[in-house]
Amino acid sequence: MSAGVTIALRENTSERLVRLALFLGLAILPALWQGQYALGLLTLMAVYGVLLIGLDATVGYLGQVNLAQAALFGLGAYGTALAVQAGASFPIAMLAGIVAALLPGAALALPALRLEGPQFALSTLSFATLSVIFLNESESITHGALGISIIRPSLFTVTLDARGFYWLCLVVLFLAWWASEILLKSRFGLSIEALRDSPTATDALGIGTLRHKALAFAWGSALAGLAGALHALNFGYLQPAAFGYDLMVMLLLGVVFGGRRSQWGAFAGAAVVAMLPNLLSNRTLFLSLVTCGFILTLLPAIRALISRRLPSFRDAAPAGAMSLALALALLAHNVEDWRKGIFALFLFAAVVGLPDGLAGAVAAALHRLLRFTPDPLPQAAGGITMSEEISRALPLRTVQLSKSFGGVRAVDNVSLEIGQGETLGLIGPNGSGKTTFVNLVSGLYAPDGGSVEIAGNRPLPGKLMSAFSAGAARTFQNLQPFSGLTALESILVCQRTGGKREAMGWLRAVGLEANARDRCSDMSYGDLRFLEIARALATGPRVLMLDEPAAGMSKQDIVRLVDLIASIKRAGIPILLIEHHQDVVAELCDRVAVMDGGRVIALGTSAEIRRDPKVIEAYLGADDEETDGSTEREAQIC
Amino acid sequence: MDAKYLALAQMAVGGGLMGMAYALVAYGFQLTYAAGKAVNFGQGELVMLGAFAGISLSGIGLPYWATVLGAMVAGAALGWCIERVAVRLALQQRNEGWILLTIIVGLFSLSLVENIWGRDDRPYPTPWPAEALDFFGISVTWPELAIATGALGIMTLVELAKRYTMVGIAVQAVSADPDAAELCGIRSRSAISLSWMVSGVAAAFAGTVIGPVTTVGPTMAAALTLKAFSVAVVAGLDSGFGLVLAGIALGAAENLSGYVLGSGWREAPGLILLILALSLRPQGVFGKKIIRKV
Repeated sequence: MSAGVTIALRENTSERLVRLALFLGLAILPALWQGQYALGLLTLMAVYGVLLIGLDATVGYLGQVNLAQAALFGLGAYGTALAVQAGASFPIAMLAGIVAALLPGAALALPALRLEGPQFALSTLSFATLSVIFLNESESITHGALGISIIRPSLFTVTLDARGFYWLCLVVLFLAWWASEILLKSRFGLSIEALRDSPTATDALGIGTLRHKALAFAWGSALAGLAGALHALNFGYLQPAAFGYDLMVMLLLGVVFGGRRSQWGAFAGAAVVAMLPNLLSNRTLFLSLVTCGFILTLLPAIRALISRRLPSFRDAAPAGAMSLALALALLAHNVEDWRKGIFALFLFAAVVGLPDGLAGAVAAALHRLLRFTPDPLPQAAGGITMSEEISRALPLRTVQLSKSFGGVRAVDNVSLEIGQGETLGLIGPNGSGKTTFVNLVSGLYAPDGGSVEIAGNRPLPGKLMSAFSAGAARTFQNLQPFSGLTALESILVCQRTGGKREAMGWLRAVGLEANARDRCSDMSYGDLRFLEIARALATGPRVLMLDEPAAGMSKQDIVRLVDLIASIKRAGIPILLIEHHQDVVAELCDRVAVMDGGRVIALGTSAEIRRDPKVIEAYLGADDEETDGSTEREAQIC
Repeated sequence: MDAKYLALAQMAVGGGLMGMAYALVAYGFQLTYAAGKAVNFGQGELVMLGAFAGISLSGIGLPYWATVLGAMVAGAALGWCIERVAVRLALQQRNEGWILLTIIVGLFSLSLVENIWGRDDRPYPTPWPAEALDFFGISVTWPELAIATGALGIMTLVELAKRYTMVGIAVQAVSADPDAAELCGIRSRSAISLSWMVSGVAAAFAGTVIGPVTTVGPTMAAALTLKAFSVAVVAGLDSGFGLVLAGIALGAAENLSGYVLGSGWREAPGLILLILALSLRPQGVFGKKIIRKV
């Protein structure tokens, strides 16, 4: 878009400066906006900030709808309250809060993290309901629905007044923000984003889906406990009902409204969740806010009308929701009765109008207006080499491997070997079991019979991670890109050793050096295929499995690909190459195995295979009556 | 029979019959999940709205069967509305936003109900005889029987329609692959709309049969969503009549644990079983195993 203003700072640095200014502003705000009431709201906002930054770890970064955060918050609060009642000091009580949320969180994580989507949401929802039942019914400990009262202990020797406690909450929020940023922008955070896009690829490339999910969930739970501790010390009175479904919905919507995958977004969401219920009590202020919102939401529809097209549903819906809210603000007898409805309307407008949340929209606008100095890219280093340790064992050996799906024997007694430095081609008509074979070797499926040996190790059947540790790395016939990461980051999360320089080296090796900063979602199909190869190479494999790397590539790209595979071969890395392009196979492969109907029907050099009558029959069909089905395959060989 | 066991059996039967209502609400989840991979986290609110619509209709003097019909029409309209307003957009963008949008719509309906019908629970008037039926010492009330027959009736009708009518087969094609169905001349969007309408009908009908047993109020929504969702996921989101078994099991487990452990704990064992069942069989107890393809 427009050129905008160039800023002689890196984006990270500028963001940090603005954040510092925000916290300084928040710290001196009580001096300008005076009164116990204002201070209470600001403290609540800081506490919710910590809570929502934690929730964003699962909802935003992990991409799973986590409905347990409100309950974990409550458990943390009760943990602190009970510790204070038992006479614990301030820091110990805070620690008790964190532990009280972290331990149940871990217990939930064990079963829940194997689940996805609706199942994950449900298991966290069940946990939340269970926690509230527990708090309500364990009357001997928590006094049930009557609630529990505590008096805030002094911090070491200082007795904190309301303002002092607010500052403490600000400090905690600052630290939680900072730690989350470091954690989620590190390799750990990149891995989480990668597994959100393709858990299969992260496991196959040894990134470890479960481990990262568990850590992200634990981090979120710990922050929930921390926020709960602050909450208990702030209010001094707790009731189980406060941590139920209502709060959870508010929190979830707060994160989405503010913007997922952003600490700024979590903070903005916290401000809205804390302030909005209280805005309703001041009718004039509320009315002016709603009017502003209504005018803002009208803009997309007006823009559509100016360019002479009918506004789409997406353009018009937020304005519709806001007009309803405006009508309520003007006509309702008591606006506070409509609190939930108005909140719902605001959120509807926000979710539809700003799919990336408030923070996402502001960031996009800033990127249009300002141009920051980009982070420098390091010099490329390294390249394609075989890992140093030389093992005598065969890189890959399968013995009578079999796998059936229902009545179909997709892979039937396949025994193959790949020697040191050898490139084995695997060809065959569509549906002959090639990809299933690779899926068995790489541990995506557990075989029904037979065994796999990778570089002398026997991986656990059906475990991607185990096959990876044994030394297998693969690419995918249907691309599995990490859409949210850049090309450089995709390599970084896959590397076992080395840093950015080596990652640049891998990109250079596949000819993508110039694309280092491009997001995978913006890259072309052919480039993504090369990136997948680079990802697999970066893990330092003992055997590399390429599943139809040339599928859908242009002629020029295929030439590049053949050069690349030849250089991988020269480095001595054993390759299993599945390919339909016969010229590619003929040029690169030492030996070729032909599969048909799940069996290996021929094995030999490329020239031998071409003369083999069984292969010709499989591809072209024979003349005699008995092989009726093979005429259909004729078309597929082209 | 021993009086204690008789009481337990009574509890189990009463819970099981109520569980059929959970299964019926859960069936609504299944319908929309099949056609477009989205479920309505506001399904409980739909049940509530259906029940309140029925109460209002009987308030103007309509007989019970007419209130049920009226509620079902309202349910169809609401189901269509939710799909049009909240879900279609999110599905077009292929993101998880639909979960939030359905929660938002549910929140708005809750607020609407609180302001139109008030926050208090109300009875749902029915013509059923007040005395209970007696089967071998276990008493079953007429409204409970209405739940069981109604739930089975609606589910059977919809399943038959899905298998033996052209429209039903078209909806199944869309749930298998919307793009391919579109290429065969089926309007995927209409099929998805239809599924949401039927789901709304099932939810509203559930409201009119649950209402007479419990009462009708704004607090029923969240609890029903959780229970029905549990039944749907534990049975498997593609499992058809597995729902009925899971629903009966959950209802009976609730009543029994309420009787044995005290009313505050009545939901706890069901929830623990739920988490365990999910961790052992993520695809649901009756669900088909998912084969990952790459």
